[in-house]
Amino acid sequence: MEHRLIICHPLSLFPDVWLTLVFGFLIVPAVFGLPFGIHKYYMKILLSIFEWTTLQMELKAKEKNHQLYKHYTSGIIVKVPDSTLKQEIQDLRHSTGCLSLDTRFELADVFVFCRKALENIIDDDVTKRFSAQKLENWNLLTRSNHNFRCISLKLLASWFLGVLIRYGVLLPFRATVAVTGIFLFVVLSTVVGLIPCTKLRTYVSDKVHLMGYRLCVRSLTGIITYHNRENKPKNDGICVANHTTPIDGIILANDHCYSLVGQLHGGLLGLIQRAMVKSSPHIWFERAEVKDRRLVAKRLRDHVADENKHPVLIFPEGTCVNNTSVMMFRKGSFEIGCTVYPAAIKYDPRFGDAFWNSSKFGLVGYLLRMMSSWAIVCSVWYLPPMNKKEGEDATQFANRVKAAIAAQGGLVDLIWDAGLKRTKVKDTFKEEQQQLYSKILLGDHEYQNHPES
Amino acid sequence: MLISWRLASHDAVLVQTRPGRTDMESGQKNTGESAGNRGGSQSESSRKPISEEGGEIRRLGKRFRKLDLDGSGSLSVDDFMSLPELQQNPLVRRVIDIFDTDGNGEIDFIEFIRGVSQFSVRGNQQQKLHFAFRVYDVDKDGFISNGELFQVLKAMVGSNLQDAALQQVVDKTILGADRDGDGRISFHEFCTIVGELDFTKKMVVDV
Repeated sequence: MEHRLIICHPLSLFPDVWLTLVFGFLIVPAVFGLPFGIHKYYMKILLSIFEWTTLQMELKAKEKNHQLYKHYTSGIIVKVPDSTLKQEIQDLRHSTGCLSLDTRFELADVFVFCRKALENIIDDDVTKRFSAQKLENWNLLTRSNHNFRCISLKLLASWFLGVLIRYGVLLPFRATVAVTGIFLFVVLSTVVGLIPCTKLRTYVSDKVHLMGYRLCVRSLTGIITYHNRENKPKNDGICVANHTTPIDGIILANDHCYSLVGQLHGGLLGLIQRAMVKSSPHIWFERAEVKDRRLVAKRLRDHVADENKHPVLIFPEGTCVNNTSVMMFRKGSFEIGCTVYPAAIKYDPRFGDAFWNSSKFGLVGYLLRMMSSWAIVCSVWYLPPMNKKEGEDATQFANRVKAAIAAQGGLVDLIWDAGLKRTKVKDTFKEEQQQLYSKILLGDHEYQNHPES
Repeated sequence: MLISWRLASHDAVLVQTRPGRTDMESGQKNTGESAGNRGGSQSESSRKPISEEGGEIRRLGKRFRKLDLDGSGSLSVDDFMSLPELQQNPLVRRVIDIFDTDGNGEIDFIEFIRGVSQFSVRGNQQQKLHFAFRVYDVDKDGFISNGELFQVLKAMVGSNLQDAALQQVVDKTILGADRDGDGRISFHEFCTIVGELDFTKKMVVDV
């Protein structure tokens, strides 16, 4: 009898120990905003492990006499830096020895179009933004192991150890924190909504919201660095940022209170949304109202005009892209006429890729992948506020903001619409190219005299 | 020359067999002959080590599989048109037509590699000139007729030029290029007009 008690005793301790650890180290500090402390060391250790794995793979490759196949993160072809059609044709005519640049048409002109076509066939700039970016070194996650064939026994063992740690230790911890966090948040937010005095309610609800987001970030082991905090958005405007994942909102809201905009869902998400709106004025739309652009614009305008309400957080790209580029911004949010506070978010893909490829996984699958990565590391830059200039229309303003965000985050600035994930390009793009070429044929001055037939 | 390909689960491996040559799998060194040598011209092209070339073919193989949206093993026009930047290129249909050497309306892997290699660093000037010639030569009879030139120019300018003006440009060009007076441009006349040397070096896509 006695030995049975001895065996049972440690096992019964296990849940107690676990809960104590989780609460003591993760939840309670998160609730009160205390730092956890070991993140820097964690990242350093992981980075040195990744360097070791790459070294192992290179050694193995040498053994087998292969060349280690590395991904070219900048694309598989060497591209000519952006030049206009006119420039390229002029260059071409120069080098074919044309004496006069005014000659209207040259048989060799097709070369320019052919080369562009081939460049795009081999490696175009757009479709690669809709899938997770490839890494140059392996980070011990099979999901980013595309084509690394040189795997030795040591690497296999370390990968397996990694799997055990991630799924056996990290995932349960994180799941517990997430569940506790959401539960606390929903309950507290509803309770706060009952406070009659507005000022007190706003103050407490801000704290509750921040606590909720902090717990969510901790549950993903999010290591976020905020830069230029002096540019934080104020109550009189909207905040725009590039969109990579649904977590973007959580990452930004971890540092400052925002009002979110979106469609009202059903299920658990809808429950959370309804609880949120009880304590703080978020803008949720019913499904039918979403199509009505004027209604959306009106509600946004009213919200922004009220000084007591927090800035609205908007992602103008409209859909998730893979964080190597910024795609076209929808002009709707830039027509409101208020101050725009841009923010740039850049994820470090080495610790876990945050991009949500909605054609590949659903939301739950995505969250599980996030929770079983090493960490979500990112940097957020707050950019100085921007306003629409005189004589600038909404599209130009949107492009200006987009360029600023791309420059700060080190992302490629693309003119293409992220909606091209699912739709085709409009014919106007081809017509534009045709127009440009016609101008060259006719010479600019003559083009004005020949209006389009 | 027998070329067969095998799509492994992660990458495409081009296995080329020819009498006297060993099997070449991507990444392996050996005979020192380059893979992209079509037509045997070895002179002006720059030599890359075999492992790098194997890498090239591998990358192109991956690209091919990515473009092949329906997994049919060959690329249809629709597969190409899924690339937004290609949709804006007025000559894309001509380029696809040139790739499609057997004329079945689809591009299989071999046609793909052949087409791309003509614009590679290793391709020679003759290949590039021939490529450009074929853009114009729609019916592939070896001559650029008045109608063909008009057709291609029309694709390039769209509706921005009146047909009469376009016809003028076409007639002028043919007059200037046609040496033997048959009213159409042969490949030889084409090469004379288009000129020589350096520009073909610029028309290169370095994979």
